[in-house]
Amino acid sequence: MDILKILETKLQGKPVEIVPDYLGTAAIKAKEGSYRDVFKALMDADEKTGVTSITGIDLGAALGVFYHVRTSNAFITIQVEVPKENPKLVTVTDITPSAAFHELEVTDLIGVTFEGNPLEGHFVLPDTWPDGVYPLRKDVNPNEVKLNPSPPEEKFEQGKQVKIIIGPQHPALLEPEKFAVFVDGETVKAVQPRIGYVHRGVEKISEFRTYIQDVYLVERICGICNSCHACAFVESVEKILKTEVPPRGKYLRTIILELNRLHSHLLTLGHAGLEIGYETLFHYFWRDREPIMDITEILTGNRVVSSAMTVGGVRRDLKETDVPKIKSTLADLRKRLPFYTKVYREEPSIGLRMKNIGTLKREDALKLGVVGPVARGSGVDIDVRKDAPYEAYGEIPFKLITYKEGDTWARMNVRMDEVEESIKIIEYALDHLPTGPFRVKVPRVVPPGEVVNRVEAPRGELFYYVKSNGTAMPERVKVRTPTFANIPAFLTTAVGEPLADVPPNFVSLDPCFSCTDR
Amino acid sequence: MIDYLLLIFRVLVFPGFAFIILFTMFCDWVERKIEARMQNRMGPSFTGPGGILQPLADFIKMLTKEDITPCESKRNVYRFAPILALSVLVFAISFLPIDGASVIPGVSFEGDLIFVMALVSVANFLLFLAGWSSNNPYSSIGAARVLTQFLGYDIPLFLLALAPAFLAQSLTINNIVAASGQWLPFAILAPWAFVLFIITMQAELEKDPFDVPHAESEVVAGHETEYSGGKLAFLKLARDVQVVFGAALITVLFLGGANGPVPFGFLPEFWGTLWFVLKVIGVVILSEYLTVLFARLRIDQVVTLNWRIMLPLSVLSLMLTIGLAYWVYPLV
Amino acid sequence: MTNLAMWSRLKSPWVIHFNSGACNGCDIEIVALLTPKYDVERFGIKLEPSPRHADVLLVTGSVTKQCAERLKRIYDQMPQPKFVVAIGACACSGGVFQGSYSVLSGVDKILPVNAYIPGCPPRPEAIIDGVVKLLNALAAPPAPKAAEEPQKEEAASEAAKEETVEAAPKLTTEVKPNAKQ
Repeated sequence: MDILKILETKLQGKPVEIVPDYLGTAAIKAKEGSYRDVFKALMDADEKTGVTSITGIDLGAALGVFYHVRTSNAFITIQVEVPKENPKLVTVTDITPSAAFHELEVTDLIGVTFEGNPLEGHFVLPDTWPDGVYPLRKDVNPNEVKLNPSPPEEKFEQGKQVKIIIGPQHPALLEPEKFAVFVDGETVKAVQPRIGYVHRGVEKISEFRTYIQDVYLVERICGICNSCHACAFVESVEKILKTEVPPRGKYLRTIILELNRLHSHLLTLGHAGLEIGYETLFHYFWRDREPIMDITEILTGNRVVSSAMTVGGVRRDLKETDVPKIKSTLADLRKRLPFYTKVYREEPSIGLRMKNIGTLKREDALKLGVVGPVARGSGVDIDVRKDAPYEAYGEIPFKLITYKEGDTWARMNVRMDEVEESIKIIEYALDHLPTGPFRVKVPRVVPPGEVVNRVEAPRGELFYYVKSNGTAMPERVKVRTPTFANIPAFLTTAVGEPLADVPPNFVSLDPCFSCTDR
Repeated sequence: MIDYLLLIFRVLVFPGFAFIILFTMFCDWVERKIEARMQNRMGPSFTGPGGILQPLADFIKMLTKEDITPCESKRNVYRFAPILALSVLVFAISFLPIDGASVIPGVSFEGDLIFVMALVSVANFLLFLAGWSSNNPYSSIGAARVLTQFLGYDIPLFLLALAPAFLAQSLTINNIVAASGQWLPFAILAPWAFVLFIITMQAELEKDPFDVPHAESEVVAGHETEYSGGKLAFLKLARDVQVVFGAALITVLFLGGANGPVPFGFLPEFWGTLWFVLKVIGVVILSEYLTVLFARLRIDQVVTLNWRIMLPLSVLSLMLTIGLAYWVYPLV
Repeated sequence: MTNLAMWSRLKSPWVIHFNSGACNGCDIEIVALLTPKYDVERFGIKLEPSPRHADVLLVTGSVTKQCAERLKRIYDQMPQPKFVVAIGACACSGGVFQGSYSVLSGVDKILPVNAYIPGCPPRPEAIIDGVVKLLNALAAPPAPKAAEEPQKEEAASEAAKEETVEAAPKLTTEVKPNAKQ
C-alpha cells in the first residue's frame, strides 16, 4: 500500500477521501475539482500510471464520473460527482493525453462535457444521433429517439494535403470503421478515426437483462476474445457475490482463456501476412489455427464463441479421455513453432515491411497508456496476469515477453513468443489440473455493490466495472477494451510514414473494433 | 484460296486467337492450382476435371453480368481500354513463333523484337488508362502505380532482352529462336541475364513481390476496382494474357522457343508447339513459385530496387553478354 | 446459352463480405473458409475486394444504424444479378442485440435477402451449405420471380423496399448451429 501513503502525504489538506480496498486498491472521492491534483500526484508517483478507463454513470440526482487509473502495482478509482443540470468538468488530457478518447466517450454516452478536450463530435453513436440525448442516462429511452437525416457523404478532398478515406468497407479492414488519412505525396500527415460503426449499445442493453443473460451478451462483444469478456464479467459478479470458484474451475478457465489467446494470436500473425501481401504466411497460420479451434470445441462444445464461463465456474467439465488428444495437438503445434518464429525473425521481405515501421518508443508507450502486446513490444512490462493474478495464473509459471524495438516487427514477435508461452501454460494446467467440482451454485439475485475487474485479453488489459442494485439485473456495466487504449498509438506512429506502411502498422495493434465500439 | 483459308485458320484458331485465349485460361488454372497447392489448399477442383474449366466459368460469368459504367468516368477510354489492351497483347503474342513460325507467316522483320517490346508497353499504358479513366481514387492510385512500375522496369527489361539478341546477332525473334536451336538455349549461355530477366519480368507482370498495383490492403483492386461485367472479363483476361506473353517471351528469348532437345522428323509443327507449350507452362510455374514465396514490397522499395540495383545490373549483364558474344563464344 | 450462363454462374460465385456491426465471430469463420481446412476456392468461390466484381454479398452483423446506409450502397454498387446471404443470428434477426437502440436487427430490414444462415456463429460447414443451397435454388426451374432491385438509391422508398423483400426467394438452411456436442 505504498502508493496510498504517498497519496496521503501529497494530498494533505485537499478535499479528498481515501477508501482503501474499494474499487481496486483504493477509491478516492475527490470533491471540488481536486481530481486533477490526485491525477498529478499519481503521475508523479509512478511512471507506469495510465488511465484505464473513465466510467460515466447516472447516480439519480447527479452524474458520476469514475476515473480508473492503474499504476505498476495498484489500481485506483477516483470518484467525481457532477450535477445533472450542468455536467461540466475540466479535462485531464493536459496531465495524461491518454484520457482524450475516454473523455469523449463519456461525453457521447452520458453527456458530461470536458472543457479543454481536443476531440469533439460523436464518438460511438451514429452520425444521425440528435444532440442532447444521452443513451446511458436512466431517464432516456433510446429506442424512442428520433434520428436526424443522414449528413452528406464525405468526398475525397484535393488540395495540398490529400484526404484519403479508408473504410468503412475496405479489404484491409475486416470490420467497418472509417479512417481519414491526410497525405502529402505518399507521407501521412494526420489520421482521423471515426469509430462507432459497430456500436451495438451493449452497455445499455445489459441493464435490461439478468446476469446470466449478460454473460452471453458480453461474450458477443467480441467473437475473438469472447472468453476473456465472459471471464471478466463473471469474475466481477463473483466478486460482488463474494463467491470463491473451486480450483478445478479456475484451472479450466485458465485453459480456455489461453486457448483464446492462442487462436487470437495465430489469427493476427496470419492476418498480418495478408496485409503485407504474404498470402502463404496467412494460409499456413490459419491452417495451424484450426486444431486450436478443435480443442476449444472438445473443451467447451463450441468452435468460436465458447460460452464456457458461468457465474461460479465453468459450464462443462473436461473429460479425462480428452486430455491426451489436446496434449498431442498442442505438441504438434509446438513442433511447427520454430519454423514460424524463424520466418517472422529472418524472412527478408517481412523485415522490409515490418522493421522500423510504426515505432513507438517506451516513453511514448507509457504516456499513451497502451496495453498488451503493443506495450510489451515497446519494452513496457505490463501484463495483468503478472501484475494482478486472477484465476490460476498466480500458480502457473510463465515468462513475460518484452521486446525493446517498439516497431511492428517487435509487436508481432511478442505475439509469436507468447504463442509458445500459452502452450506451456495450457500444458502445465493440464498436468496440474485439480480434482473436485468445477462449479458452485450461486444465487440469481446479486446483492448491491460495485466492483472493478481486469483480465489480460489477447490484445491487452480488459477492464470491467459492474454495479449491482440488488436485483437480478445489473445497474451499470462498463467495458473498456484493449483496442480502445491502443488506437492512440496507431494515430501517433502512422504520422510521418509512407501510406503503404499504414496497413502493417495498423494490423500490428491487432485492432478489434467490435470490442472498441461495444 | 487454300492459302487464304489456312491464313484465316492460323489467325483465328491455331496458333492464333482461339489457341492463345484457351492456353491463357489453362495457364491461369495452372497458376491458381500451383498457388493453392503451395499454400496447402486444393484450389479449383469441381469445375470440369480437376477444376480446369474454372477460368472459363469465371470468364463466361463475368460476360453475363451487368456492365456498369460509372457516370463520372471518362466513358470512351473506360470502355475501350480493356478490349484494346487485350487485343494489343494477343497481337504481340502472334509475333512469337509458337509452332516454329509466327502466327501470320512471313510477318517477321528485322527488329521485330523491339516492336513486340513496344507493344507490351502500349498494353501496360492501356491498363493505366483503364484505371485512370474510372475516376475512382483507388483506381487512380493503382493506375499511377502501374505506370511507375512499368516505366521503371521497362528499361532493364529491354536491356536484358538484348542479351539473346547479341548472342544470336539479330533483332529478329525468329532468328534468335533459330540461333538458340543450333546452339544451346541462351539460358545456359547467359544465365545471369536469364535470372535477371525473370526477376524483371516478375515486376513487369506485377506479381509478388512486386504486385503493388494490386495491393488489396492498400488500393482495393487497383485499376480494376470500378470495372464490372464484360469489361472486367476482358481486363482480367488481358492480365492473364500478359502473364502468358511474359512466359512466352522468356521461352523464346532464353529457352529456345519451339526447339526441342530431340528433333523429330514427322509432324514438326506438333512437336514444336508441344515443346513451346511445355516451356511456357514451366516458366509460369516458376513465376508462380516466386509469387507465393515472397511478401509484397512497398512502392518506394520497388522503385529503389529498380534504379539502384536492377538497372546497373542489367547494364553490366549486357556488357558481359556482348563481350562473350563477340570474343569468347566465337572461339568455342 | 442460358444453360451455359447458369453453369458459369453456379461454378464461379464471387463473394464480397460486409461486416455490418458483427462481433467478429462470423467474420473469422468466413475468413476461415478461405484457408486450407475449408478452402472454398475448390468450388470456385473467391473473396473479391471490390463490390463491382462480386455476385454474392455475405452480410454479417446486426446492421447498426451507422452502417445501414453503407450496406445499402455496397449492394447498389454490385452488378446484376446479385444475391444477399445473411450470415449469423445477428444478420438474420438481430440475435442477442435485438432491442438495442443502435441496431436495426436484421439485414432484411435493408436489403432483399436470398438465404439466411443461422448460428452464433455458424460453423464454416454451415456457411458452405448455405451458399450451396442458394446456388441450387437458383438452378432449380422454375425460379421465383427475381427481385426487382430499386434502381435509384434515393428513390428507394419504404414501400419499394418492402416489395423487394416480399419478392425475394427466401430459403433458410436448416443447419443447427454448433450442433456437434
